[in-house]
Amino acid sequence: MFLLNLSLGQFLAIFGAIGVFAVALYLLDRSRRKQVVATLKFWSEPGRPAPESRRKKIQQPLSLLLQLLGMLLLLLAIAGFTVGGRQNARRDHVLVLDTSAWMGALLPNRPDATLMDLARANALGWLRAVPAEDRVLVLRADGLATPATSWELDRRNITRAILDSKPGSTTLNLSHSLDFARQLQRRSGSFAGEIVYAGPGRISAAEANNMTLPDMPAFRVLTVNDAIENCGLRSVGARRSQTDKGTWDVLVRARNYGRIPHTVQLTLNFGSTPQGSQSIDLPPGQERETTFKVHTIAAGVLETRLYPKDPFGADNYAALELPSMRTLPVVVYSEQPDPIRPVLAADPRIAAEFRPVVQYGLNEGAANAGLIILDRFDPPSVPAGNSLWIDPPAGKSPVPVKERVDHPGDVAWTPDQPLTAGLRARDVQIDSTSVFDPGPNLTRIAEVEKGPVIVASASTDGKSKMVVMGFNPFAGPMRYELATPLLLANLLHWVAPDVFRDVDVTTQSAGSVTMPLTSGKESVQVLTEAGASLPFNIRGRAVEFFTGESSRVRVIAGNSERVYSLTLPEMWDVKWAPPPTARKGIPAFNESVRRSSDLWPFLALLGAALLIGEWLAYGRYSATRLRILKPRLGKAA
Amino acid sequence: MSNSVVSTGPLLDQEFLERLERLTIHWQKSFAGLVGGHNRSRFAGGGQEFLDHRHFHQGDDLRAVNWRAFMRLDKMFLKMFQVEPRVPVRMLLDTSASMASAGDKFTYARRLAASLCYVGLVRLDTIQILPFAARLHEGKTSGGGRHRYRPVAQFLEGLQPEGVTDFLTVVREFLNDFPQRGLVIVLSDFLDDPGCERALQYLADYGNELMLVQLWADEDRTPPWTGEVDFVNAESGEKLRMHVDDEARRKYTEAFDLFAAGIRQVALRNDGKYSGLPTSMPLEDAIFGTMVRTRSIA
Repeated sequence: MFLLNLSLGQFLAIFGAIGVFAVALYLLDRSRRKQVVATLKFWSEPGRPAPESRRKKIQQPLSLLLQLLGMLLLLLAIAGFTVGGRQNARRDHVLVLDTSAWMGALLPNRPDATLMDLARANALGWLRAVPAEDRVLVLRADGLATPATSWELDRRNITRAILDSKPGSTTLNLSHSLDFARQLQRRSGSFAGEIVYAGPGRISAAEANNMTLPDMPAFRVLTVNDAIENCGLRSVGARRSQTDKGTWDVLVRARNYGRIPHTVQLTLNFGSTPQGSQSIDLPPGQERETTFKVHTIAAGVLETRLYPKDPFGADNYAALELPSMRTLPVVVYSEQPDPIRPVLAADPRIAAEFRPVVQYGLNEGAANAGLIILDRFDPPSVPAGNSLWIDPPAGKSPVPVKERVDHPGDVAWTPDQPLTAGLRARDVQIDSTSVFDPGPNLTRIAEVEKGPVIVASASTDGKSKMVVMGFNPFAGPMRYELATPLLLANLLHWVAPDVFRDVDVTTQSAGSVTMPLTSGKESVQVLTEAGASLPFNIRGRAVEFFTGESSRVRVIAGNSERVYSLTLPEMWDVKWAPPPTARKGIPAFNESVRRSSDLWPFLALLGAALLIGEWLAYGRYSATRLRILKPRLGKAA
Repeated sequence: MSNSVVSTGPLLDQEFLERLERLTIHWQKSFAGLVGGHNRSRFAGGGQEFLDHRHFHQGDDLRAVNWRAFMRLDKMFLKMFQVEPRVPVRMLLDTSASMASAGDKFTYARRLAASLCYVGLVRLDTIQILPFAARLHEGKTSGGGRHRYRPVAQFLEGLQPEGVTDFLTVVREFLNDFPQRGLVIVLSDFLDDPGCERALQYLADYGNELMLVQLWADEDRTPPWTGEVDFVNAESGEKLRMHVDDEARRKYTEAFDLFAAGIRQVALRNDGKYSGLPTSMPLEDAIFGTMVRTRSIA
């Protein structure tokens, strides 16, 4: 026995107040009153004196008792008095409705219905069996758990939320959803009812390996049969070929989610041009991958299709947006270009143009160059953009030369600079070099004992950068050292980082995405299609982020950039098996009726009957009095 | 003690009056030398007797001319008859303060009196209404047909309840003032503290036929009060403080019923009629039900 709506203290306090009030009213009502009558002769028997007054504080104890008992019963009805323990309490149920991407699969026998329709029907059936006084919260569960309603008593709102639920783009995160549902139940303030999961229970392998269900007082599973044969694309990735200039290496992975082997056809189109087609065999539950080569330097959409069509069409098509291949134009003014030529020709992303020094300032095309290299040359005017000065003549150098030094000895590279990445002092052999007298805005790149021999500077707006070398790295013994191409590569990356960034384009499913990092120390940016930052997390040597819908996301990490075209739905790996203690199916209606037997209507009726009876028997307007008053009232009317 | 009773409308409506026209006031006794009423008399003979002749004068009723004498004597003589007096119907209407103390017995009594008067007027009976309390008040005589009802109704509407009931004094005055026997209708609650049986018996002993109509309010017979009550007598102002419980209320009702039985016994013992009417009973039921059943009217 317990009270649903009031604590025992509240109940006693309210009843005490009502009781005191009733007793006070009772004593007031039963006080002596004056009554004019036609005669007094019948109040005393003939020959005997009239009965004396015997006034007492409480003259009709049964009347007072009936009043108090009636009010006690009414208060018990208001307080929700129930018998039979918590079985009869009002409950709060959570309906976890599976809205994962897989719920959009068509049923094999009914092409107009999906798994979502089955789950909705099960959920509505369960809802009809829930006692009317119980509250229900609908939780839509895919990669995230999203409440669709608050704690609702109105079945129409709950039904509307169920019918409005649609398949999403991610796979089911069941443990997270159930944990969230349990937390909601704990915070509801009422007795916990059932947590009901409606869906086929398809989850990812990662979740299946680490699955821990929360402690739920009552867990019910409304199973949806999803024996559907389906093959689909798992991911499509493209990256620039390391060997062929203007070629993309495309990797396509497909999986058979069904129970029988299938042979599927994969086709690639770039724009409207077919780029290839392959047939692969997919054993049941297995995943296979294949590669394609796509020759293009233009930007465009690479479409991948899987045939034949199956009941779940969302994973039969993927679109990949390929960016254009960018190059860095470099103009070299030198009388001896041959030593420089092989270094610049090593990278296909560099478009080098060699010109004699006399042409400096004559060709307007140099103004658009990404980098101008001035080889031991004193230009009449300082170039506006990025520039590399190789051993400029003393007195004409953009950086003042302090002295000229022969055999300067060990060269020390300044650490932690982008320009000195991978350079070691023992690699450098210099015959002669100029030692600069650097100002405050110059960065020292390499130094000898007498002073800096390579300095760099960047304008305040970052648009123009300048590197000045006091020696010629393409002459003397250094031309055979590894330091020379490394130094030039670092220089080119520093001047134009966007061009030399490794671009990797991947199409995969929405949801949680993990991208491995090279070192784990580089700065990371995760940007949406609109350029807005997306929240991410770096765990170990990987960056993780989540997107719940199809979108395009760019991840820039140091010198690499990966573009995710998240157009594929996130698919499951394994089927989850409910625990043996879980209830299954829609509960019987009589079970609900039995559990919902409350006493408050009977208590209310009994309390009202007692009060009315007391009023008729003892009230000022008792039955006799009413009979007397009736003609008067009729006459007055 | 005076209680003002104000009537908000006519005592009886026209529809009710029309229903009353088929009724007749009945009495059982035959009063020697009196005619009227609608009972068969045990004495033989007509209602009119020849008295004398006189000469015919212009304007006399030609139907009373002795045509035989005219044919023989060639003179017109008019026959003169002695008209016997009708049986007097007198109605004693209680206007004491107790009639207004509960249940509006006074209005009920006035309406009943008006009904009986109308019945008598329709049958050409002569009815005298005599209000009383401690003494007999000035009355109102009605007769001559239904068109004389209006003055009676106005008289009844103008009555006010006040005073103490003293049946013995009233009966003495009545017997002195009206020695001729007849039907005496008493409309009262008969709540006279010294008792009214002896006074009623005087009325019967002097040859009057009694039609006693006892009126009571429901609370007169079944008091609804419980607990500590200070009772005040509406007529005398006498007070009684007592604790009323179910037992006391039961004994009260028994005493009242015993009292009513005594009144009834006085009426029946003297070949009269008795009707006990609670005011909760509609007047129509009282007249066409209870009073017809007791053969007070028919």
